Amino acid sequence: MFYAIWLQIRVIAALTLRETRMTFGTSHSGYFWAVFQPIFSVSFLMTLFYLIGRQSPFGTSLALFFATAVLTLEFYNKLSVSLMRAFTSNKSLLSYPMIKEPDTLFARLSLIACTFLVINVIFYSGLLAVGLGQFPAHPERLIYAFLTTCLLGFGVGSINAILYQKNQAWQHIEKIFARPLFFLSGVFYIPSTMPPEAVAVLKWNPILHVVEWTREGFYSNYHSDVLNIGYPLGLGAALVIIALFAERITRKQRV
Amino acid sequence: MIAFENVTKIYNVKNVKKVILDDASYRFADRKNVALMGHNGAGKSTMMRMIAGIELPTSGRVRRTEKVSWPMGFARGFNGMMTGVENVRFVSRVYGCHTDTILEQVQEFAELGKSLALPIQTYSSGMKARLAFGLSLAISFECYLIDEITAVGDRRFKKKSETALKDKIKDARVVMISHSEKTIKDYCDCGVFAYGSKLYHYDDVNELLKDYRKFC
Repeated sequence: MFYAIWLQIRVIAALTLRETRMTFGTSHSGYFWAVFQPIFSVSFLMTLFYLIGRQSPFGTSLALFFATAVLTLEFYNKLSVSLMRAFTSNKSLLSYPMIKEPDTLFARLSLIACTFLVINVIFYSGLLAVGLGQFPAHPERLIYAFLTTCLLGFGVGSINAILYQKNQAWQHIEKIFARPLFFLSGVFYIPSTMPPEAVAVLKWNPILHVVEWTREGFYSNYHSDVLNIGYPLGLGAALVIIALFAERITRKQRV
Repeated sequence: MIAFENVTKIYNVKNVKKVILDDASYRFADRKNVALMGHNGAGKSTMMRMIAGIELPTSGRVRRTEKVSWPMGFARGFNGMMTGVENVRFVSRVYGCHTDTILEQVQEFAELGKSLALPIQTYSSGMKARLAFGLSLAISFECYLIDEITAVGDRRFKKKSETALKDKIKDARVVMISHSEKTIKDYCDCGVFAYGSKLYHYDDVNELLKDYRKFC
């Protein structure tokens, strides 16, 4: 039992290092780009909205309001897309007996989670430094929201991986679901102030809940009527369980 | 111990059904070097992958209590974009070995020199095979699975591999696939013949080779 756990940790650690090497390339500048590429794209978006002259829907900083949603959404998207290809691009690894498909998923999860942890810290402290941010009112809620995003991204990403390997056309179908998330996740608005008809639809989006959770973590006076922490947590856990079961059941057909 | 218990293995690719093993039970004799023979497509490599634990049987169990290598002879597990050093480090990490010790041994055995720091995709197939073989010798296993390995490399390297392998099997054993009668006679104490989705045991390698000549 102890040996099995040690083996599991060893395999995932080795895979994570390998993934790091594969994602970031040979040079050290690879790490730089991995962290700063999302930072640049979010910054660009914000500059655009500043130039249009939009006011922040909440608080004084448009940048902070955006960041709470966009960074969460980027994290989720990155997980769900990159896990999708975990099986197909790691096929050669399966010639080592102790490496099983779920390990490749866990390795990608830990790499992406670490990367986004760094991105979040840099971005929010950057905002703080230029006077556009603030220190989170409830830092623990940020952590919960981050972990819940991990759960959701891992669940959806793993299911994507299984479906993608069964049929490569899944990557196109997945996009149909993923695209609207940008508009459904409260990037531009406060969900609680939306008309009840809209809320009735929006509240089914689990990402919206983690965005709201993140905002409650940052602002001391942000109160969300939509947020129900049981929903993203329960859905995330259910998806992970379904994904791991499905993986195990279909493993024989996959090799 | 390595044993098949009521193992059935069926491939179903594009509606073509292929039965590799049909309810076969077989125990590989303990501490003996076993030859695995059969005609092309009989499923020898698949059986080897099942022994290694890479592939699961359709039904039944594969029991394994000794430390078994991955099937040697193919450099499948390498990543072409990573350098030789990185690939070696990765494998030794996975097997829980000391990376620097393994690297040193591989360097010495494979004689790849500076190429070890280059991405694997720049290697020739002979170089890849050297690296793969050196790596599997550096990590100590109780049972080496060898799939037609002896055809690897130039004459000098072949000789070196032979010596190294013979040295290894003083305290480890091999399960070997080969079509070369000489290799089988050289290494193996007993054998198993895969024929018609069943496995047949031979205590004497010469008997095995006789049947091999007759049926394949």
